[in-house]
Amino acid sequence: MPQSADRVLDHAPLFRQPEYQEMFARKREQFECPASGEAVEAQRDYARTWEYREKNLAREALVVNPAKACQPLGAVFAAAGFERTMSFVHGSQGCVAYYRSHLSRHFKEPSSAVSSSMTEDAAVFGGLNNMIDGLANTYSLYDPKMIAVSTTCMAEVIGDDLHAFIQNAKNKGSVPQDYDVPFAHTPAFVGSHVDGYDNMIKGVLEHFWKGRTRSAGEGLNLIPGFDGFCVGNNRELKRLLDLIGVSYTLIQDASDTYDTPSDGEFRMYSGGTRLEDVAAALNARATLSLQKYCTRKTLDYAAEQGQETHSFHYPLGVRGTDELLLKISELSGRPIPEAITMERGRLIDAMADSQSWLHGKKYAIFGDPDVVYGLARFVMETGGEPIHCLATNGTKAWEEEMQALLASSPFGASGQVWAGKDLWHLRSLLFTEPVDFVLGNSYAKYLERDTGTPLIRTAFPIFDRHHHHRFPVMGYQGGLRLLTTILDKIFDKLDQDTIDPAKTDYSFDLTR
Amino acid sequence: MLKDKIADVFNEPGCEKNQAKGAKERKKGCTKPLTPGAAAGGCAFDGAKIVLQPITDVAHLIHAPLACEGNSWDNRGAGSSGSDLWRRSFTTDLTELDVVMGQGERKLYRAVREIARTYAPPAIFVYSTCVTALIGDDIEAVCAKASETCGLPVIPVNAPGFVGSKNLGNKLAGEALLDHVIGTVEPDDVGPTDINILGEFNLAGEFWAVRPLFERLGIRIRACIPGDARYREVAAAHTARATMMECSTALINLARKMEERWGIPFFEGSFYGISDTSDALRQTARLLVGRGAPSDLLDRTEALIAEEEARAWARLEAFRPRLQGKRVLLNTGGVKSWSVVAALMEIGVEIVGTSVKKSTAEDKERIKQLLKDENHMFESMAPRDLYAKLASHEADIMLSGGRTQFIALKAKMPWLDINQERHVAYAGYDGMVELVRRIDLALSNPIWADLRDPAPWDAEGRLTAAGAAPRAEPGRDPAADPTFLAHHRRKFAGAGADDMAEC
Repeated sequence: MPQSADRVLDHAPLFRQPEYQEMFARKREQFECPASGEAVEAQRDYARTWEYREKNLAREALVVNPAKACQPLGAVFAAAGFERTMSFVHGSQGCVAYYRSHLSRHFKEPSSAVSSSMTEDAAVFGGLNNMIDGLANTYSLYDPKMIAVSTTCMAEVIGDDLHAFIQNAKNKGSVPQDYDVPFAHTPAFVGSHVDGYDNMIKGVLEHFWKGRTRSAGEGLNLIPGFDGFCVGNNRELKRLLDLIGVSYTLIQDASDTYDTPSDGEFRMYSGGTRLEDVAAALNARATLSLQKYCTRKTLDYAAEQGQETHSFHYPLGVRGTDELLLKISELSGRPIPEAITMERGRLIDAMADSQSWLHGKKYAIFGDPDVVYGLARFVMETGGEPIHCLATNGTKAWEEEMQALLASSPFGASGQVWAGKDLWHLRSLLFTEPVDFVLGNSYAKYLERDTGTPLIRTAFPIFDRHHHHRFPVMGYQGGLRLLTTILDKIFDKLDQDTIDPAKTDYSFDLTR
Repeated sequence: MLKDKIADVFNEPGCEKNQAKGAKERKKGCTKPLTPGAAAGGCAFDGAKIVLQPITDVAHLIHAPLACEGNSWDNRGAGSSGSDLWRRSFTTDLTELDVVMGQGERKLYRAVREIARTYAPPAIFVYSTCVTALIGDDIEAVCAKASETCGLPVIPVNAPGFVGSKNLGNKLAGEALLDHVIGTVEPDDVGPTDINILGEFNLAGEFWAVRPLFERLGIRIRACIPGDARYREVAAAHTARATMMECSTALINLARKMEERWGIPFFEGSFYGISDTSDALRQTARLLVGRGAPSDLLDRTEALIAEEEARAWARLEAFRPRLQGKRVLLNTGGVKSWSVVAALMEIGVEIVGTSVKKSTAEDKERIKQLLKDENHMFESMAPRDLYAKLASHEADIMLSGGRTQFIALKAKMPWLDINQERHVAYAGYDGMVELVRRIDLALSNPIWADLRDPAPWDAEGRLTAAGAAPRAEPGRDPAADPTFLAHHRRKFAGAGADDMAEC
């Protein structure tokens, strides 16, 4: 055997050893009844054709590799941005295990959430008892300052009423009467994680704002939206806001929750928006959402309370950041300091330095609606062309906004918007109308392998690379980071294409 | 002696500039003494290495402390179609003790021996540098000895940095080839249509875009010096029937002395621009026929030119409306100045200025004829003058090398690299189309608008009118978006019929 105690091979080289290769081949022959190599090749070739693409795009009932997650995931992420808050998902256990591992895999941090562990009897008789016991257990076991309740499909299908259930549980003494238990109905069969985020944030605001009278002040509320880069982005936002000198509340700040130091202490909770700040945020002059599609109902609610509301599409790059800072400056009456102007100049300088490498590069961009919008806009600022813009959870309204964005620049002329399409659609699109790079999350690594289109990881989730979430992509400094990420891939690709000594290394250059 | 060699190079009769001077000035050479405290270009060592390093299968050994080689490793992107030995950074890495104890020669000898054993190259080029020349290491003697014991040519390149400019180094490298390399190999396949190309560096693989043109005419390139050359090709260069010289400022001495010694006629030509490329092919054919090649070569050359020119013009026509009247400022070293001028004017681009610092009198005469105005030529422009020209919008774009790139960018103007650090081939018919395409791309990059527009707030950080104005871009302001409220008032966001996300 190739494996021995003297020299232990890890998985990458081990299974290339002849013993394993023979085993794989044998299993394939004996158990898989495989099609012939030619048949597989023929099928593979067929999947690259326009004919197959037409059939693929005509697909109605089936979704393959959707680029979206379900509402409760968004709700769990939203709840993680508040001080000492435990996410409580009313429903069965398994879903919650998935939200926790999903977030942990991305952030490389523990992610806490509990469920009411509904089982068959709960489905038949209703989940009230699970709520009563669940809240009591969560309260005593994990000592949270707030329990944020959301739901899974199961609770929604049987129609459990969270408002009544929570009140019942409080009456039964599960938690004190004045204990904070905001809630949101988040059925997974409606919308996507961005809607779950929206519902949960709105639930929290409603919980703290309901029945109180607003006295308008000068502060600003900022809601980051569902952001896989929150650790870097939120900190960068706070730095910029502090530089401008604005009084603000970041509503839903998960930057510390998903970035705790390794010092021997386990922190179930860390950082997050303080609950009294959430309550006081009712008096803010305005609420700004950095992602419109993550906060449609929340902003509506804030507007109903009499606040001015503004939303952005994941503000990135020069224009995106300009727009955000200008609005903040306008609302607060505070000038934008010289230090930020210098940062802006540096980003532009960097983009100009690299312009010839970025110009005319073609991209496919997929992800959440706002993220796709922000990335497409940034790409066009660098002279790149977004060819495919795809959001599985994109709506008709988003599609129109994207069309208008593409029409605003000559670099958007070849851009196509694909709302509601999945990654298997994108696969056909990449085969028939190839691009230079894909911008999106880790799931596209399979598209990268199939279609040979290099993937630039810029969205949530990133499972197969580490620490992206720690660096901002927002703000001018974040723009630099994003620019560098894109350029690194461009140069890596060029190096890979020209790496053979004395054959293709005519562009394997040291200086660029 | 190095001193005699330098005097000889300064005396170069092929260099009109020098010949125009009196005997005394000629002795001083072309290079004005550098102004202490002012920025300057490369040294003689740099120049020698530039000319020789693209000979790809040779080991280039730098006899120096580490930095001479460390800093100049791979600073020009010459393409190689074979060996990558030329790219290795061989150095004797002289240290303080070596200098004090005078161990340089021994170290050099051992280094040569080690290279010979490990890499078995067809030859080793040994470069002296400031330090090793100052401490008096006799690299000629070491090379001669090593050559004997190792059984391969070990060529001394005596051009330490302090003797003069980069350009002097270029010429000293040519002398090294004349003294030790060219004429040492007699090929058995000499033909009537063999040529040499001198001063072609195959930057960004540029010569590969031209080489097939010669091959289609049945013309063999015996040696392209130095671009993508092999040692044996260079060593047999004396058997060619004609020479095309591309960069006269670098290797005029080599071309002229090859004519003197072996009777190979040469002409000066360029592959930048359509008519220049055609002209180069035409002149090559004419020289070859003059020396006994079959006369139908002339007709075949004309046919090829007609075909290629038609193809290139057809492709260029698409750019004419986009580039007509665009103003270009050229700041390039040497050879490219006049040839790029001709190339750009062919498609309607206006030249608002070109540097002629390293151009010969002949180059300048050509530029004068093309531009019909001497005022557009400048001998040397200080960075601040370049900046002023660009900042006052006298030009739409600057074409230059990497060192002046940032002047353009700081003046908020587009810039295109046409010197050695670029990665795109501009030579020949296809290269010209590519150059024009790149100019078009550079001019239309959206980053220039960002670069020029001020931040949308004023010096005090307050909103400016431009910043506060309603934005043209869509979807920025929910109030301006009629569908916004309708969409976000739904019970479950995005659950409507217009939501394609659902299944």
